[in-house]
Amino acid sequence: MSSVTIRGVKKRYGALSVLHGIDLEIRDQEFVVLVGPSGCGKSTLLRMIAGLETVSSGDILIGERIINDVPPKSRDIAMVFQNYALYPHMSVYENMSFSLRLRHLAKDVIDRKVRDAAEILNLGKFLERSPRQLSGGQRQRVAMGRALVRDAEVFLFDEPLSNLDAKLRVVMRTEIKALHQRLKTTSVYVTHDQIEAMTMADRIVVMNAGRIEQIGTPLQLYDTPANLFVADFIGSPSMNVIRGVLGAAAGQTFVELPDGTRLPVPDMASGSIGQKVVFGARPEHWTLATGDAGVAVKVEVVEPTGANIQVFSRLAGTPVCAIFTERHDFKPGQTIRLDVPADKIHLFDAESGVRL
Amino acid sequence: MMSKTKRSILYWIILAPLVIVILFPFAVMFVTAVRPRDELFVYPPTWGFSEFRWENFAEMWVKTNFGGALLNSLYVSITATGAALVLSIPAAYAMSRYRFVGKGLYKNFLLMTQMMSPIVLVLGLFRLMMTLGLVNDLNSLVITYAAFNMAFTIWMLQSYFNSIPRDLEEAAWMDGASHLTSLIRIFLPLAVPAIVVTAIFTFINSWNEFVLALTMMRSAEDFTLPVQIYSQVAGRYQVEWHHVMAGTVLATVPVAIVFSWLQRYLIRGMALGAVK
Repeated sequence: MSSVTIRGVKKRYGALSVLHGIDLEIRDQEFVVLVGPSGCGKSTLLRMIAGLETVSSGDILIGERIINDVPPKSRDIAMVFQNYALYPHMSVYENMSFSLRLRHLAKDVIDRKVRDAAEILNLGKFLERSPRQLSGGQRQRVAMGRALVRDAEVFLFDEPLSNLDAKLRVVMRTEIKALHQRLKTTSVYVTHDQIEAMTMADRIVVMNAGRIEQIGTPLQLYDTPANLFVADFIGSPSMNVIRGVLGAAAGQTFVELPDGTRLPVPDMASGSIGQKVVFGARPEHWTLATGDAGVAVKVEVVEPTGANIQVFSRLAGTPVCAIFTERHDFKPGQTIRLDVPADKIHLFDAESGVRL
Repeated sequence: MMSKTKRSILYWIILAPLVIVILFPFAVMFVTAVRPRDELFVYPPTWGFSEFRWENFAEMWVKTNFGGALLNSLYVSITATGAALVLSIPAAYAMSRYRFVGKGLYKNFLLMTQMMSPIVLVLGLFRLMMTLGLVNDLNSLVITYAAFNMAFTIWMLQSYFNSIPRDLEEAAWMDGASHLTSLIRIFLPLAVPAIVVTAIFTFINSWNEFVLALTMMRSAEDFTLPVQIYSQVAGRYQVEWHHVMAGTVLATVPVAIVFSWLQRYLIRGMALGAVK
């Protein structure tokens, strides 16, 4: 087990720049998730750590060793691929023992390691089968097993759950997390699914267009997103964002929306009066207000999910989603008043998207 | 709804004309090959014969030096196939996996060579072999057959190689395999179906090739089978048709055997289920 350090790493394909300088410190035993929309460079970064892509500039270190020019086979990294990449002409046992056989370990050592890993992953019954006789979830486990037998310094996961159906994905998510808690191998996990990132990560790295937007624990990202991109990307349904202008009257700071509606914001906001800003509130942070408090909106659609109800409406023309755990019986067309506690309000600069 | 049997019968009836056209020459060949000599030209022609003469084959074998020609053909076809594969596999791998300058041009060049019939090149090739001192040498056929088939084998292998996911090799590298190890233990085993198919095609093409063999080989002991059989017909006062046909049967059989033995690889799509 080892730390992974990424220092000023850039990736260019000819004139096309894919990563613009990534700095990241992955601590020993940590589970770090790289998340971002497709094309953000997260898979490229992972493949650079693996040695499957060259580093255009900057350094990648495992432990203290710079590995930029070390071939993949000598990096002591195990990787689980998106489509599993099981060797189709080998049985499950042969798939899992391939790396050990390459290292010419003794037969009984190989056998013990493979059977131990198979035990952990519940694959004991399938060792003699060929990959094509397995279901998606089982193949996924074999791919994990192949990484597991290695006792590698670092595990890399490249969207390993994206080929599974929704239910299995949730199960495997928990299995992978449990496995990491047990083995504590330093892991880097790439996904485009923010829920996967939130549920599995010790720390999340949010990437966009070849840059890191924010690094932090799942709850840090959720509670204090550094910018509009992170605010919008993390959380489902995503944060309600409404554009307006910062104003003040009678000692109260507020955001004035295009239609004149005023949303009060706390003074902690470091913006200046007249600044164009974006007001953000998570759906579950809206509360029902009574009297003159909050703002009036007209209910458009109500979606009960069982655990809660999602209420869709519009504020100054911008769609707004509010989630209530109480079982309100709203009707479309009904007017309700929404409010957000001051400490749950997010404010961003409209130009740069940076949190105020 | 028709029953399955009825449908099968209908399909076979529709197919029948094609089957007859294909099988007719073989039937004539076989019937002539086992006939006594004096029944060769009866009028009206019949399918029957008074005696089933296996001896025709033995006589033909001795009289036409069939054994020597067979060995020549085997040598040329097997070596040419081997050479074509040994050279095509790395070429196809490079075309499938690497980017290099002139790749598109090279691909088009390969395709263009396929548009030319070997016959138009015969003279040039003959002069080339003259310079190399290879006329009347079976290796001249090995070289030309391998070369003529390589455009096809490279294209064929390359398109199959493209279907073998890169991930598999990358996974092998991550598992600690060198490029060579992953090529031998992961990649090539998965490419076996394509390699076998291309081998079959190259072998059959080489086995049946006539024009080049006729041009390059001057002395009778170096003839390959097609030329040897032809020499029993051309420029003779008397053609021993039953021997010619016996020779043709024997020349066809090995190809049929090779083909039926290897055709199971045609169907086996090993890479299916590899990913996803």
